[in-house]
Amino acid sequence: MLFDEVTLRKINQLTLVAKRVRAGMIKGERRSTKRGTSIEFADYRNYTPGDDLRRLDWNVVARLDRPFIKLLEEEEDLAVHILVDLSRSMDWGEGNTNKLRYALYLAAALGSVALSSGDKLTVSTLQSGTISSQFGPSRGAQNQFHLLAFLEGLVAYGETNLNQSIKIYSLEARRPGLAFILSDLFSPAGYQEGANLLQSKGYEVSILHILAPDEVDPPLAGDLRLVDVETGRAEEISLDGGLRELYRQSLKAWQEKLHTEFRKREIRYMKLSTDTAWDKVVLYEMRKESIVK
Amino acid sequence: MSFLAPFSLFLSLLALPILLMYMLKLRRREVQVSSTWLWHAVLRDRQANTPWQKLRRNILLFLQLLILSGLVAALARPAVAVPSVSSGSIVVLLDASASMNATDIEPNRFEAARSVVRTLINGLSGNSRMTLIQAGFQPEVLISAENDRAELLRALQAASPTNGPADWKTAFALAAGASSAEKGSQPATIVIISDGGLPKTGLPPLPGDVNYIPVGSSANNLALSALALRPSGNNLELFARIANFSDQARQVVLSIYRNGELLNAQTVEIPANDQTPISIKDLPAGDAIYKAHLEPVGTQEGSLDALSLDDTAFAVNQSHKNRRVLILSKGNFFLEQVLSALPGVSAYRALPSPDTAEGSSGGFKLPEPSSGETSSFDLYVLDGVLPTAPDSNLPVLPEGNLLLINPPPTSLFNVTGTFTDTQEIQVADHLLTQYLDWREVHIAKAHYVQLPPWAETLVSSHGNPLVFAGETQGRRVAALTFDLHDSDLPLQISFPILFANLIDYLAPVQSVNAGENTLPGESISISPGLDVQELAIASPSGTVFSLHPDENGSQFSETGELGVYAVNFVKAKSQSAEFFAVNLFSESESDIRPSETIQVGRTMISASEQAKLGKRDLWPWFALTAFSLLLLEWWVYHRRL
Repeated sequence: MLFDEVTLRKINQLTLVAKRVRAGMIKGERRSTKRGTSIEFADYRNYTPGDDLRRLDWNVVARLDRPFIKLLEEEEDLAVHILVDLSRSMDWGEGNTNKLRYALYLAAALGSVALSSGDKLTVSTLQSGTISSQFGPSRGAQNQFHLLAFLEGLVAYGETNLNQSIKIYSLEARRPGLAFILSDLFSPAGYQEGANLLQSKGYEVSILHILAPDEVDPPLAGDLRLVDVETGRAEEISLDGGLRELYRQSLKAWQEKLHTEFRKREIRYMKLSTDTAWDKVVLYEMRKESIVK
Repeated sequence: MSFLAPFSLFLSLLALPILLMYMLKLRRREVQVSSTWLWHAVLRDRQANTPWQKLRRNILLFLQLLILSGLVAALARPAVAVPSVSSGSIVVLLDASASMNATDIEPNRFEAARSVVRTLINGLSGNSRMTLIQAGFQPEVLISAENDRAELLRALQAASPTNGPADWKTAFALAAGASSAEKGSQPATIVIISDGGLPKTGLPPLPGDVNYIPVGSSANNLALSALALRPSGNNLELFARIANFSDQARQVVLSIYRNGELLNAQTVEIPANDQTPISIKDLPAGDAIYKAHLEPVGTQEGSLDALSLDDTAFAVNQSHKNRRVLILSKGNFFLEQVLSALPGVSAYRALPSPDTAEGSSGGFKLPEPSSGETSSFDLYVLDGVLPTAPDSNLPVLPEGNLLLINPPPTSLFNVTGTFTDTQEIQVADHLLTQYLDWREVHIAKAHYVQLPPWAETLVSSHGNPLVFAGETQGRRVAALTFDLHDSDLPLQISFPILFANLIDYLAPVQSVNAGENTLPGESISISPGLDVQELAIASPSGTVFSLHPDENGSQFSETGELGVYAVNFVKAKSQSAEFFAVNLFSESESDIRPSETIQVGRTMISASEQAKLGKRDLWPWFALTAFSLLLLEWWVYHRRL
């Protein structure tokens, strides 16, 4: 699993966007809301007595004979959390439309962006209500290959319980930052609570909802016994045109509902179909959504 | 509706395997999906409209069961009872006699019969054929062995009732022929639709099954059953008879019109099922048309009775004209006596011209050929003389029919001498020698006459003609080759007979030989005079029929209408008219009481109940329905997938 040269170069030019900057532990490449001590210039302001005289812009004082304080940008790093749903249902779809593969590509892309922009990246996999494995936290573009190696080793199994997994993840003491949840959201136990918890802890949550095309429009007909690959549960159904239409409507309604609910909570929600090329999603769709720039 | 093969209904048990297969069929194919979570939601949604969905799911089963039931029903051969003979063909005898005009059922009996036939046509099954015979006074096959309903209905529409009695014997012969002509071993069923006015006896038996459907409900009818005129003294006496066929005594006004003017009206009471004769005396003599008409008494509402055709009758009083005979003779007492004694003959004797010498061969001038009927004669009798032309002294034969007695040589034949050998006499068997007894007749001498080719010998002796007659150059000629004074014929009884025959032949009576009781449809023989070129006969409704008479007269049979017919004898220069009346004086037609049975051959046939007539197979419709359902099922199946 390798990015080709061109894509990688494009990815490396991107930066993840955070609406609010979290207080960083170390100096990073991101501008902070705090005025700091970096070398990047931010603004001037009038001198008020008590200001550090070292920060007077002497060139301006010499030219205008009035004291101005030079304000400098504070630069800090960003914590980026990528949570990949690794349940059995994610391993669905043939070849390039496999949801897990698609999710891993996206995770790799986002992770690379984070690493190359000096952010602190953590990639975790959610499985059966726990955190099954974790990459990071690590920083620096040199870790890109470690990230890819980590992602390549992932296998999907078990059931999904997003709520519990996320809850556990958020309870562990972490520095809040950007949180990407990559999942098909086929989680009977729900995901709202987990998302809310993450948000309340100060995370900026983006949900990438990944569905395979044959889940959007199932190529099924006749009297069937549908077996859930994840739970093994069976659903007897006589499929005809009307029922298929009902399924499509229900799926659409569900996604609409997700969209409006997440929008209300300022959670980014992107619905993705695996028949859209993943690099296109990263380079265009996510840019459009202001996830990256 | 009933089933002809009800045991086939057991085949509906085949529904069980179909149901069973439906149950087995629900073993579902197993398919893996990433998650049944959404499907579960969908199925939960669908619970709300379950009944309709269940029906939709089972619509194929439902359709298949319907197809099965259609096929089973078709095999069970359902049939409905229809007023029809379902199997095989029908010959319909439709009564079109005068009594079918009766209005006791709306609009009349014939229309009711027509609607019965229409039902029969509509109930005619697939390949059955129908022959439609209208029994009027001239029975007629309206349509023969046809199974096209449109054609049959068109033919039925063309049927109409007549004004006269029906000729049932001929109609039966037609029906028997049509029935036997049907292919197959089974003769067609014969259906007689009538009010029962069939003759009680004398009808031949019919092959096959005979059904009788009566029409009519009432016997309410009054009829003029006779109307006749008789001379009584110098005046006329009219005789009429009114018949009441109903079960109640009736009063009726009888009006007599003479040439359209009311002459007499009287109220007559007729007991139930009885007749009342009426005679009216002292009617003025002379040619006239009398009309008798029955009307309801006073201000009685509505019509008099159910059948109006026999409420009016006509009688014609007409004296025939005498035939005019001109005798050219030097004086023959016998001849003048016999001609004046014959009825219907006016004899005239021409006197010799005063300027001609007595004893010459001529002495008679022919009158100028002038116009007008009075100057021409129907017959010229030349007794041993020849007239001369008006403008010369040459002997000439008058234009017209001739009776030559003791003839001189003429342009018609040659006279070569006399003979006396007349003991053996042969009388030919001829219309003109009817009733003639020549045995006591003796003839002293006669002329040798070479028999012309156009003539026939009536009486001869040794091959020499004594009396001969024939037709030449458009006229009739008869000759006696001896002088009446040379024989004792005038003293014999044969003399007036021979002369009556000869005169009737030479100067035929111009007349219409219609009796006083001419029924509609009867043919009338008309004997026109020889000079009549054309007969124009006007029916009561004004239709004119033109006839060209031949020597035997003419038969006129277009007497379907009731009323007075005028016969015009059109001659070269003039014309004359005679009248005759056609009346419905028929007790069998006037008695409109519908009869419940008819006698055909030796079998008494009762009215058929319509339900008994037949059953009509409906299986093709069920099979067709099953087939359409099959197509529908195919379509539904493909639409679902």
